[in-house]
Amino acid sequence: MSSPQTNLERRAERLLWWYPRNWRHRYGDEFTELLIADLSDEPRSWRRAGDVAWSGLTARLTNAGLTSHATDPVDQVPASLASLSVSSGVFLAFGVAIWSQLTIGWQWSAPTTGATYAAMIVMSAAILVLFLLALLAAVPIGYFVLAGLARRRSQGLGLPALAFLAGVAVLVLGGHHFGNGWPGTGGHRWALQGLVPGGVAAFSWASTLSVSSYWAHPHALASFPVGEIAWMAVSPIAMVFVVLGAAKTIRRLYPGPKVLRFEARLALVAGFAMAAFLLGACAWVLGGAPGPKDLFHTGAIDVAGVAAMALALTVAYRASRRASRGALVLVKR
Amino acid sequence: MSSASPGHSGDGGQSPAEPLSTFGRYAGPATLILSSLAEGEKHGYALTKDIEVFAGVRLAPGTLYEALGRLESQGLIEALERHDRRRPYRLTVAGATALRAHLGAQRRVADVGLRRLSRSWSAT
Repeated sequence: MSSPQTNLERRAERLLWWYPRNWRHRYGDEFTELLIADLSDEPRSWRRAGDVAWSGLTARLTNAGLTSHATDPVDQVPASLASLSVSSGVFLAFGVAIWSQLTIGWQWSAPTTGATYAAMIVMSAAILVLFLLALLAAVPIGYFVLAGLARRRSQGLGLPALAFLAGVAVLVLGGHHFGNGWPGTGGHRWALQGLVPGGVAAFSWASTLSVSSYWAHPHALASFPVGEIAWMAVSPIAMVFVVLGAAKTIRRLYPGPKVLRFEARLALVAGFAMAAFLLGACAWVLGGAPGPKDLFHTGAIDVAGVAAMALALTVAYRASRRASRGALVLVKR
Repeated sequence: MSSASPGHSGDGGQSPAEPLSTFGRYAGPATLILSSLAEGEKHGYALTKDIEVFAGVRLAPGTLYEALGRLESQGLIEALERHDRRRPYRLTVAGATALRAHLGAQRRVADVGLRRLSRSWSAT
């Protein structure tokens, strides 16, 4: 039987988990003391529980560089850029899944509606821009990571960079392997037409195969080859490695104010490209038609994908604005 | 107490003399904390009790520490050595200046409001 004091401590410690680790490290002990005293005064309070949850989430958002709370830009800009990389990763996972579905459809037959046609052009252009921006953003980051590792002053960059590279390797190799198994890449008389090369379409399809409504239909999923089901389980883990590896690397790296400003500017352009992509996806979902052989059919998974992209874009927009403002302050220092 | 402070001029337009204008919805709790610390150093629970007595408001723990964190990051208060697990906070010179400016601005608004009330609503 535990004492009332121990119970209060346990409850206080549970409430503390709403806050991020660095906040707990700084304020944890004294905040726990306050909570214990407050719990003694008023054992049950929804207002207190809601207040702690809200403040904890606010602290987490501040920690992620997403609030206007004044923090040191040296910490805030990398945090905002890391949040941007996570939100962009989520956006691209859903976006590429939708886009690859359409590119594969077009390999077989052209869309019949203007909405789907326009959506494909806008989304394909946006994907190209995002790919180029990602390359541009990766060059200075990669340089500073390699320079840090070479000088043995990596400051914990090795593990996240390794996680990122491992995730990319799994996605590239697996995407290539399973993309080659897609029937549209070989032999069919309608194949190899459309807006993007068949190999790119197949690779995009294979690498985002896990973003699928088949998870909600286990009987249908069970008819898939075992290798494909395994890939659907492994590829999201690889995506998480890529996104979190990139985010952690950016968070721990300080490449200087000018590089951060460069990255923040790329982030703003990426925000516009993502917005254009989302508009294209909306045009297809709202105005598209199933087309020949139901190739451009929209389902609940596509509507959910668009909703997830809208949410990710909101976070990315906030992060890019905060990164941009913070970088400006850093450069002026 | 209003959470918006007089002289608030938007996201980027804060006056250096009025750092509390950047606190948004935490301006009210921050003013209460600074007013409490104007009397001397206090830890979290002592702050809660003191504010409850002089303002009739019980600050919830999350709100209190959110405001404390903001005040500390702006250099308006400072954390002292811990006593057991409790850490007292103390008003800084910058904090005293900010509090004086903020309360002065609030007093001007209160004076205008009371004057107008006494002129136009004295019969009620």
